[in-house]
Amino acid sequence: MKIVTDVQEVHAGRKPLLRAYVGIFLWFTGRAIQAAARVDKQVRKEFDNLPDDFAFSLGCLPQGPWMIIGKEKGAVKYLGGDSRGRHLHVRLAIKHVDAAFLILSFQESTALATARNRLIVDGELPYALAVIRILDIVEVYLLPKLIARLAVKRYPSWWSLGRKLGGRIGVYTRTLLGI
Amino acid sequence: MKPVPVFTFTCPVKTNSGNKALEHLPVELANLNAVKPIVITGVEAVGGKAVRTLAGAFGDSGMTYALFDGVSPAANLALIENLKITCIENQYDAVIALGGGTIVDVAKVLNMAVSLKTADARQLSPQTPLRKHLNPLVVVPTAEASGLETSKLAHLDRNVFSSEYLAPNLVVIDPRLTRAADGKTIAATGLAALSRALEAHISTDKNPFRDAYSFAAIRFIKENLLAAVNNPGDKKASLAIANAAAMSGCAFSNAENGLLHKLGQVCQDMQQLPAGMVMGMFLPSVCGHYLNKGDNDLAALLHPLAGDDTFVQTPIAKRAEAALDLLDRFLAGLRGALGKDMPQNLKEAGVPGYRMEEILDVLANDRGGPALCAMVKRLWERQPMPF
Repeated sequence: MKIVTDVQEVHAGRKPLLRAYVGIFLWFTGRAIQAAARVDKQVRKEFDNLPDDFAFSLGCLPQGPWMIIGKEKGAVKYLGGDSRGRHLHVRLAIKHVDAAFLILSFQESTALATARNRLIVDGELPYALAVIRILDIVEVYLLPKLIARLAVKRYPSWWSLGRKLGGRIGVYTRTLLGI
Repeated sequence: MKPVPVFTFTCPVKTNSGNKALEHLPVELANLNAVKPIVITGVEAVGGKAVRTLAGAFGDSGMTYALFDGVSPAANLALIENLKITCIENQYDAVIALGGGTIVDVAKVLNMAVSLKTADARQLSPQTPLRKHLNPLVVVPTAEASGLETSKLAHLDRNVFSSEYLAPNLVVIDPRLTRAADGKTIAATGLAALSRALEAHISTDKNPFRDAYSFAAIRFIKENLLAAVNNPGDKKASLAIANAAAMSGCAFSNAENGLLHKLGQVCQDMQQLPAGMVMGMFLPSVCGHYLNKGDNDLAALLHPLAGDDTFVQTPIAKRAEAALDLLDRFLAGLRGALGKDMPQNLKEAGVPGYRMEEILDVLANDRGGPALCAMVKRLWERQPMPF
């Protein structure tokens, strides 16, 4: 019997540029969350309401990159991209690096991406919602209004100029210095 | 709406549709416990770009998949046997069909042969018992879809396999793949979907779940097919038609085979005509037949075709005629847009006189044979009459 020989095995390619963009974005956002927890009262309050050993991750399936944020001795810390051996209370997973790029390049807001079934949330919903609120605040600090409006569901136009400007300087300084 | 006392409805198909939906495929395969799928396609039918788009969706997933891109309209059970051996030897645990029509039929029958570990796939027949869930089957339809991709049917080698286990587990509809090269292709897809959804919708054995699918399919086609035909590159319109085709397949799986489906399928099998074009050609005749017979709920057609306001403002006794009038105008619009690309009778479609007898012989064996034969004879070279 003639066996079909036209079947070829294909190894999935790589997307190094997208991975690099997503990786850098997550690294910077992770440090910014750590900074915002020290600068912004609302972010601090959100973390205070979470368990003492709380940790969450945000990244893309199936092979990352990931960003881990956790509380250690009461302080919020960016814990890198390796979650091995760590208990995570919430895991926000984007289904593909292309989908992560759409979200993290602000072509799709978090709410729209969720509606389009691009996000998987593992963990308790109240914790996940707290994480989303924190991410929204950090994005408002990091991004100019024009872009932040695309990224968050509702831009906080009621924030005072002092909070926006002072917070932005504080978050950026601490993020760049890693403190 | 009157409650329906007894009905059954099965639709095992999960749908991922929209921008970059294809990129969800690796995660969806993992959810189906599949690690090494085989992609079945025909590069001549779908084009190299579609294959590259699919390959891109696997990017960064770390997966290895097999690719067979040699499916042609002449595919048969011998090909299934060869592919089955390859799949079992290399432990491919899922089948992905990229394309429509024969490509999906090959994928369905291959999945059946591999899952059942059939000794010789050439012995498969519609009588082969199929009583268990098969390996994961994913369908990624392109513009050449016929609507049967999401259904429980597979047509191969003049065999019609039918089982709810043949329906795919997942259908991924991505607008990068649903744009057609020309208006004729998308018209054939839309008309096939419209015809099957229409026959499911007006069926007397009412089924509210099925009606939801057929209603949405008819509405999508009514609102988008003309735009897609006029501009085959229209992403939004072609995506809507692909969605409608997927929905029509689900509705069709839960309805009896209608006259339009039978006519389309026979002409496609015997003369390689696009089933959708044949069904569109016979739509006026078949609907006229249903209207005269009076045993179908043609009035229900007005709601998806005309919308809420017109439906409630039209007296119940006039709804069937109003629906057919709308359908007639819709088809006239398509004919205007396509011109000679939309044949109006079998002669124009290229059916030679000597094949007519064979077509009539096959149709005569059907339960609705006399009516079908009468319609085919009438539409051999005449123009279709308004309803």
